[in-house]
Amino acid sequence: MEDAFSTYHPVINFFYFAVVLLFSMFFNHPAFLGISLIGAVIYSLVLLGIRRSLKFNLVGMLPMLLLVALINPLFNHGGVTIIGYWPTGNPITMESIVYGVVMAVMFIEVIVWFACYNTIMTSDKFIYLFGRVIPALSLILSMVLRFVPKFKTQLKIITQGQQCIGRDIHSGNFFRRARNGIHILSIMITWALENAIDTADSMKARGYGLKGRTSFSIFTFDTRDKIVGAVMLVLFISVCGGIIGGLAYASYNPIIRFSAFTPLSISVYTAYLAFCLMPVCVDIIEELQWRSLKSSI
Amino acid sequence: MAIFEIKHLTFSYPEAEKRALSDITLSVKEGEFVVLCGASGCGKSTLLRHFKTVLTPHGDRTGERLFKGDPLDAVSERRQSGEIGYVLQNPDNQIVTDKVWHELAFGLESLGYDNATIRLRVAEMASYFGIQDWFKKNVTELSGGQKQLLNLASIMALQPDLLILDEPTSQLDPIAASDFLGTIKKINRDLGTTVILSEHRFEEVLPGADRAVVMDGGRIVAADTPRRVGDELEAMGHDMFVAMPAPMQIVAGVGKNQATEPSARKDDSPFPWPITVREGRRWLDQWLSGRKVDHRALPERTASEQQTEDKAPVVTMKEVWFKYDRTLPDVIRGLTLNIVPGEMFCIVGGNGTGKSTTLKLISGLVRPYRGKIKIMGKPVKGFDRETLYQQILGVMPQNPQSLFIKKNVELDLYEMLEEKKIPIEEKDDRVDEVIALTHLEDLLARHPYDLSGGEQQRLALAKILLMKPQVLILDEPTKGLDNHYKLELGEILKHLQKEQGVTIIMVSHDVEFCARFADRCGLFFDGNLVTTGSPRAFFSGNSFYTTSANRMSRHCFENAVTAEDVIALCKMNTQQK
Repeated sequence: MEDAFSTYHPVINFFYFAVVLLFSMFFNHPAFLGISLIGAVIYSLVLLGIRRSLKFNLVGMLPMLLLVALINPLFNHGGVTIIGYWPTGNPITMESIVYGVVMAVMFIEVIVWFACYNTIMTSDKFIYLFGRVIPALSLILSMVLRFVPKFKTQLKIITQGQQCIGRDIHSGNFFRRARNGIHILSIMITWALENAIDTADSMKARGYGLKGRTSFSIFTFDTRDKIVGAVMLVLFISVCGGIIGGLAYASYNPIIRFSAFTPLSISVYTAYLAFCLMPVCVDIIEELQWRSLKSSI
Repeated sequence: MAIFEIKHLTFSYPEAEKRALSDITLSVKEGEFVVLCGASGCGKSTLLRHFKTVLTPHGDRTGERLFKGDPLDAVSERRQSGEIGYVLQNPDNQIVTDKVWHELAFGLESLGYDNATIRLRVAEMASYFGIQDWFKKNVTELSGGQKQLLNLASIMALQPDLLILDEPTSQLDPIAASDFLGTIKKINRDLGTTVILSEHRFEEVLPGADRAVVMDGGRIVAADTPRRVGDELEAMGHDMFVAMPAPMQIVAGVGKNQATEPSARKDDSPFPWPITVREGRRWLDQWLSGRKVDHRALPERTASEQQTEDKAPVVTMKEVWFKYDRTLPDVIRGLTLNIVPGEMFCIVGGNGTGKSTTLKLISGLVRPYRGKIKIMGKPVKGFDRETLYQQILGVMPQNPQSLFIKKNVELDLYEMLEEKKIPIEEKDDRVDEVIALTHLEDLLARHPYDLSGGEQQRLALAKILLMKPQVLILDEPTKGLDNHYKLELGEILKHLQKEQGVTIIMVSHDVEFCARFADRCGLFFDGNLVTTGSPRAFFSGNSFYTTSANRMSRHCFENAVTAEDVIALCKMNTQQK
């Protein structure tokens, strides 16, 4: 499915991911954890599709969750509620198990968020954002992204060419293989340097190096970006207010303590949930609009 | 009004004995379409680089260059960047950024245009060149032809008055090349942009050109309309005449004076040389009218063919199927192919039909998932790599540069034998032998990368031949070569075949080359060979996928496929009379 949120301005995209990633990394209040996890999983379902996402979450993430949750009590023996002893004599505490789970959830949240981030924040958006800050950097990034695949292709061509004259990096003894590898590398470097001259000519011919270079982008900041941006900002500020007020406080060792659920704190968590589900909401609204348009046609 | 004038330009590279350009005087009018011709190394690229200050090579230079009346060096770099556009040979190397839209905007960014202007210009160019569909793609996803079109579009976004192109189609396949040249003509016609183009596909460009400038050894030997240039070159008996379109060569070979009655021509008007196939047909009709045509076909070369058919095949492929990945479609579908020893087999066909993959299969780089491939009666996977690649197969990569390691040609050749345990004398003998065979004598001290395309191709071939392969596998050996080098390469291959009995398997887009040198040709389509046959039978059986000499003569002769064939048939018919 084509995601509507990805068509918004890169600043909006980036702001969203920066906030959810930072919050996921730094706040281990159970409400925050739960909301983040739900938000991340739902969004990955929307972005990657149900099959791929379930595969990713169940096959990749679930074992990791169990693993991290189990490892913590092995090494961490702090906590007041002892529920048993390891054969070595160290205590198993409820706090350490809970903290293991908390860490595992945090870990997974961040990974799932990054999976979403990678689909939304394509290289050109990233380049655009950082090109604003340092214009020279944006061109360099763009050139790097151009040359890495180019060199990879060329390396393959050279390797095959060498293979065809019996110089393989997969057969023969170690020294022979090493020498063949170095040959390939040497050919590659010569090729890269020689061909870079052409690239330099092509850049000069198009006026690279003149004063006052601008940075073009295909992105525009529309009204919809303003609206979504404003909503996100309001939610962000209210969540921040709650955090400053100590509503995200949680501690798991030696005893489990976290700020209580009050009407005020619940409203802050709701704001955070709304923030996390922002892209999904945008997608749903867009979808509904389409349906109504279609039916009116 | 002249947009660019060169007066008595002489140039030599530092420490070079020979002048790269000597006493060039050329004036290009506004809106003109100029084609620059000449053999590789004649100074075409050097001259083209003098049209722009930032690209001008270092060296000793005298003479004047004027752009719109101002000395070129006095024209600011900013103005030059915008008004003089320059497209280079290699489509890949010119692309700087990772996205198509960014590449289109690159020049405009350099000149400091604001976002709104760039947006408009980029949009205009994308629409004009039909790039909309791949506007947001990564440049790595594009084909060679699309890449070169993108390079052109990103230059045209600057709205130059003068467009310079240095062999822009040499790395493209014929269809992409002809599309590209069509676009250049369209730009010249629609926008009035002055175009200076160096090119070796004359059949494509000459018909639309206002002027052809022929260079040789750093001098301009002829500069006039294509027809007059043909006249002059023929009168001079110049080497460059072999590069002219087939119809012109046929006319020259048959003798133009017999074609039209002297009384029908005014003395000072030039001979109406046919440039296109259409004009060639008309000329041939005229020439044949009033003559009795007894010979319509050339005798087939039967003797040698039947000989080879009895021998056991050197390469056999039996119902081979291949795909690159399980989920991808089949590239090769049930291909059956036999190659007999000592023949030159050419595979022709469109892009992406599986020609190159077939070569990869034969050379064991990839394996079929169904079917059998045998070399000399033994399955490919049964060979150990050493014997296969160093004694039996010689595989020449499409890009000769992927073989060069050392800093000069001689060392590079010896490097090939480094791992072989053979006496020094024998190494010397082998190297001397291939040097003589591939005419590398004068180039031994040069760096491999300083050689021209044709010379690099010969060096790569020499390196492969040092292994004394019995089967030579070539992927597009004529890519980027001009006619002169093609003929040279063809002669070398023929020599190898005759003297050493080497079997040659070749993939090529170059129908003219295949028609001239192959023993057998096969048309590849949709992962399989559609037909095979001797070049005469093969090409005279095709009506589109054939040589221009054949297209020109197919209505009167049955099996003439090269210019020589047509000339021979014409001569046979005159002798009868």
